[in-house]
Parts: sequence; structure tokens; C-alpha cells
Amino acid sequence: MTDAADQLDQLLTVGEAPAARAKLQLNGVSRRFGAVQALAKVDLGIAEGEFVTLIGPSGCGKSTLFNIVAGLLEADTGGEVLLDGAATSLLGKVAFMPQRDLLLPWRNVLDNAILAAEVEGRPKRAARETARAMAADFGLKGFEDHYPQQLSGGMRQRVALMRTFMFDRDLMLLDEPFGALDALTRAMMQRWLLDIWSRYRRTILFITHDIDEAIFLGDRVVVMSARPGSIKLERRVELPRPRDPALLTTPAFNAIKRELLDAVEEESMKTFAAGAA
Amino acid sequence: MNAALARGLGGGVLLLVLWEAVVRLAAIPPWILPPPSGIVATTWSARGPLLDAGAMTLFEAVTGYGIGAVLGLVLAMLLALATPVRKLVLPMVVVVNSVPVAAYAPLALLWFGTGALSKVVMVAFIVGFTVFLNALDGLLRVDPAAVALLRSFGAGPLGVLWRLRLPTALPAIMVGMRVSTVRSMIVAIVTEMLGSQKGLGWTIFEAVLQIDFLRVWAAILVASLISLGCFAAVSALERRVVFWR
Ligand SMILES: Nc1ncnc2c1ncn2[C@@H]1O[C@H](COP(=O)(O)OP(=O)(O)OP(=O)(O)O)[C@@H](O)[C@H]1O
Ligand SMILES: [Mg+2]
Repeated sequence: MTDAADQLDQLLTVGEAPAARAKLQLNGVSRRFGAVQALAKVDLGIAEGEFVTLIGPSGCGKSTLFNIVAGLLEADTGGEVLLDGAATSLLGKVAFMPQRDLLLPWRNVLDNAILAAEVEGRPKRAARETARAMAADFGLKGFEDHYPQQLSGGMRQRVALMRTFMFDRDLMLLDEPFGALDALTRAMMQRWLLDIWSRYRRTILFITHDIDEAIFLGDRVVVMSARPGSIKLERRVELPRPRDPALLTTPAFNAIKRELLDAVEEESMKTFAAGAA
Repeated sequence: MNAALARGLGGGVLLLVLWEAVVRLAAIPPWILPPPSGIVATTWSARGPLLDAGAMTLFEAVTGYGIGAVLGLVLAMLLALATPVRKLVLPMVVVVNSVPVAAYAPLALLWFGTGALSKVVMVAFIVGFTVFLNALDGLLRVDPAAVALLRSFGAGPLGVLWRLRLPTALPAIMVGMRVSTVRSMIVAIVTEMLGSQKGLGWTIFEAVLQIDFLRVWAAILVASLISLGCFAAVSALERRVVFWR
């Protein structure tokens, strides 16, 4: 653990993660867009400090679910979304990283990273100092003054992640953060994210299309059904941490993978048959 | 950029040489098309009154431009925030804007007199519309996902306007402002032609009446140079403001 992380831990996180209580609880959350039923009665609980990966066929409503948890979309009446046990307004309470990095081209790396802090009204100077200290942990040292157009895809994602981490909220929603990266960069970023997560302890809900990624990262893998999306399967991943790439070829990993593959394939076939994939 | 500038200059010089040659070889009478050398000589000998007239027109154009650009931008920001009002106002704006500006010039002269005010008003009017329409388009053409991101951070409509819409719209706003520079000179000159005792438009009008075509061309030359200078200044500003493009 670096000194910077030690310092920032005090700056950024809200105390130690206590005994597992539900950080987020979804009860019967549905959402319809006109004739399209995107989500149908999603029930899902996430414990404090847990890393949950969410996997499901394209168009099953994963991003819709994220938008609801981030407070950007209303769920249809009947369901409830509880954050720390309370049904409050969610806007501004959850650190949300959308499917695209959405970096602002007129802001350099540091100023993109402090966007949320600025919106919150924190002084720019102090926020920039924090970001500068964090840059090394996010592999951006020496690039603080670069503009997004000058960065590689992997770096852009790290800036977007840094922006999400700097929006200091216990619950983080990451929508396919590595979806557009090549396999090598992606593997590197996965290990890096686990490392960062072990330092800046947060509760993470992570969308992916990649089963290996879902297992490698998660404490628990949640499989969604084809549209209308609901929770089809939950599988706890008991693999030890810190996790090593060698894990991907172990029998324990493969056993979990086989189990999940069956469920995911079945749902993907349904989507395919419906002509929506 | 420099190569483009050099090519532009080269093209200009070539055109002038050709023009001079054609006029001399074909012995075209000066009231149809005077040679460039004659225009330059007349401009030089009449530089005093021409500079006075140019200063007047430049003052009207710049003042109107400043007022119009600010009003257009402020109105666009207000309407970007207020969707219902925008849907009501925008069709009217488009209708008013679809009439050629010259048509409003007599009204401006009637209401604001033949002094500088009527020209300033006309220029502000055309610049205001151009900047307003460009700015509004830019302000509304934001990525909805980026708006959602800012809202998830707790930003309200003003926060979204300041941190996202305005920077996103800057390229469009600057295009509007660049196009407006030339228009502001044209409108100032046309309005002067229709009624005034000063300025390049009035100089042109007067020279036509006196059948002094070299002076017409000299005034056109001065107007072009001023236009070009304003255009270059705004283009330079654009490159600084929209540095990420
Ligand atoms: N704002 C909207 N208006 C209408 N329909 C929508 C809207 N947002 C999503 N949908 C529909 O809801 C369904 C779920 O979309 P969503 O984006 O949540 O899927 P997803 O699981 O994130 O897909 P992907 O894996 O491709 O990102 C889709 O059929 C989509 O067309
Ligand atoms: Mg999605």
C-alpha cells in the first residue's frame, strides 16, 4: 500500500467497512418503456464492501437498472430501491460510471477527475491536489495535464474511474468499464481495479459481458435473464483474494464458469431467438 | 495553416495581376472595371476621408456586434434552460429571421434616425440572430449521457449549463460569431447607403451619384480590408477558445 493511498484513505473513505449489512437493496424493481418491458421485478441485495458483478445478454436492462440506482430513472410503482435501508432520492448519492467514458475534451486529466468534486462545490485547488496525489495510483502520473484526446483507451478509462472514485460515495456503479479495451489491456486493468478496490474500499456493482471478468473480479456473480430483465442466478465466488491471473486456469474457476456459462448461454439464445441481439 | 495562408496570398496576387493585365490589354473603360493600380492610387490620395468613413462604419459594426453577440448568447442560454418557453418562441424567431435583413433597414431608419444608432441596431439585430441560433443549437446538442452523468453527481440545470452545455456549444457559438463579422460590416454599409451622412456606405452612395467610380472601388477596398481584419481577429479568438478541436 502506498503512502498516497494511506493518506487518501483518510480523505476519501467513510470509516472501516463494518459487518456485512445491505448497502443496496432492490425489491421488485420493474421498468417499462412504452411497449418494452425492460425490467421485471428485480430483487437484489448488495452487502457493504461487496464486489458484485452483473452479467446478462445485450438489451436485458442492465444499464436501465444502473440508471434507476443512480437516481436518473424512476422505477415503475410497486418496486423499491433502498440505499442503506432507506428509500431516499438517489441523485448525487451513488458514484456512477456510464458505459462510455464521457471525458470532457476541454478539461485535462486532473480537471476531468475533479468534475464531481466541482459540482459538489469543493474548492478546485484542494480537489486538484487530491487528484494529483491519486494520479500515480491510477497510472496517470506524468499525464495530469494531458487532454483526453491525447490518451489511450486504457488511460481514458482510468481517468473516468478516477473521476468516479473521487466522487466519494460508498456505492459505485461501473457499467462495462473495460468493454472497449483489447484483451491485454483489459486483463491488466482488471488486476489494477482489484488492487485499487482493496485500497479505496467501496461497494461495487460492475456490469460486464465477459464471464471470466465477472468471476475474476466478483465476490458474487449475478446473471440477468433476457428481456424483461430479472435476476436469473446468483453465484458466490469463493476464490481467495488477492486474485492472480493464474486463477483463470484452475479447476475451481472452471467449475464456476461452466455453471454460469449454461445460464448465460440459455438467456443469450432467448435474446437471439427474439431477434434483439 | 501557414501554407494555406501563403497559398491564399499567392492566389490573391495572381488574381490582381490578371485583373490589371486584362483591364489594360482589353482597354476596359474605368467606369466598368478600373485597374487595381488605379484603385490603390485613389485610395491613397483620398485616405483621409476614407479612413474617417471607415472608422465610422467600423464603430457601428463593432458596437452592434458586441451588443448583438451578448444578447444572442444570453437569450440562447435562457431558452436552453426553459424548454416550454423555447418551444413557444423559437418558431417566431425563425419567421422573423427568414426575412432578408435589408427589408428591416428602412424601419430602423424611421425609428432610430439616420445617425449611428440605426446602424448599430441593425447590426445588433443580424448578429444577435446569428449568434442566438448557433448558440441555441450548440447548447441543445449535448450528449444526453453526459447530462445524466452530471446529474448523477448532483448537478442542477445551471450546473449542467455551465459545466457541460456552454463548453459543448463553444465551437458552434464561435462559428456564429465568425460568420457574423462579415455580416455586421455588410449590414452597416447597406444601412448607411439607405440613409446617413457618414461612413463607407454613404461614401459609396455619394460617389455613385457623382459618377466617381474609382472612389466607389476605393471605399469597397477599405471595407474589405476592415472586414478581413475583423474576420482574422475573431478566427484567432476562435482557435484559442476552441483549443481542443
Ligand atoms: N430511454 C429509453 N427509452 C426507450 N427504451 C429504452 C430506453 N432505455 C432503454 N430502453 C430499452 O430497454 C431495454 C434495455 O436497455 P438497456 O440499455 O438497459 O440494456 P443493457 O442490458 O444495458 O444492454 P447492453 O448490454 O447492450 O448495454 C432495451 O430494449 C432498450 O431498447
Ligand atoms: Mg448497457
